[in-house]
Amino acid sequence: MSTLIAIGAGIAVLTGIGAGIGIGIATSKAVDAIARQPEADGKITKALLLGCALAEATAVYGLVIGILIILFLGQ
Amino acid sequence: MKEKLMAELQTETAFTIPILGGIDIPESVAVTWLIMALLVLASIILTRNLKLNNPGKRQLLLESGIGWLYDFFGDILGERGKCYIPWLCTVILYIGCANMTGLIGLKPPTKDLNVTAGLAVMSIVLIEYSCLKVKGSKGFVHSFAEPMPIIAPLNVLELFIKPLSLCMRLFGNVVGAFVVMELIKLVVPAILPVPFSMYFDIFDGLIQAYVFVFLTSLFMKEAME
Repeated sequence: MSTLIAIGAGIAVLTGIGAGIGIGIATSKAVDAIARQPEADGKITKALLLGCALAEATAVYGLVIGILIILFLGQ
Repeated sequence: MKEKLMAELQTETAFTIPILGGIDIPESVAVTWLIMALLVLASIILTRNLKLNNPGKRQLLLESGIGWLYDFFGDILGERGKCYIPWLCTVILYIGCANMTGLIGLKPPTKDLNVTAGLAVMSIVLIEYSCLKVKGSKGFVHSFAEPMPIIAPLNVLELFIKPLSLCMRLFGNVVGAFVVMELIKLVVPAILPVPFSMYFDIFDGLIQAYVFVFLTSLFMKEAME
């Protein structure tokens, strides 16, 4: 029984992959944009921070479910 | 160890007001009162003796800070949304202070799901109210069929998904940071918690406050279109 719980919690945290890839691509495009036009870096940084926080949220949902599974279903 | 973590995650009663059969005050409410007292005191002390000519340094700093916040939200919300800016500034100050109480040793009130849910409910009520005020009640109902009538069920569903995602994002970040800090403190209680605490409490806390308020103002602008 506890192996199933462990597998479930492990699968729940796999949502981090999406966040990692998404934020990586977003940051690379942001760096390209700053390199192309350095005086717009204030606006680019603002948009980048917002995008990163939104993408991070999905990874955090997975983390919260993993923690809840371990704490509430484990013996 | 698991029992200790579970105990920390529950919301405990800080004290009980002994009237009307004992009202239990949860810890998050008590810390919120402290933050409210701090912000009210700061507001009163920082705005004494404001002068029109020869402003002092304190007044200049205050004006530049508040002016920056007003410009920032005014850009997003436009002319019609100016009346909501004070509420947005208050929420960003509250969430910023709430996420940083971890530095003092108190438990952050946003670790309680009720607090973040309350903030998210206030946000969605204000978003729908701003739409109602600008478009009138008929326009409000029509706005659900906005791009195409076939999307109407999705728009109604978004009424519930927006506050849910706002609430869970803030709650998840704060609880995740809290659990990781507790685990670090169990393993290496000496020096390692300090840089992690700086990252989680200060950086992550401020960014989450900013994202919450920014998303609310973005939804408001979209609703007022």
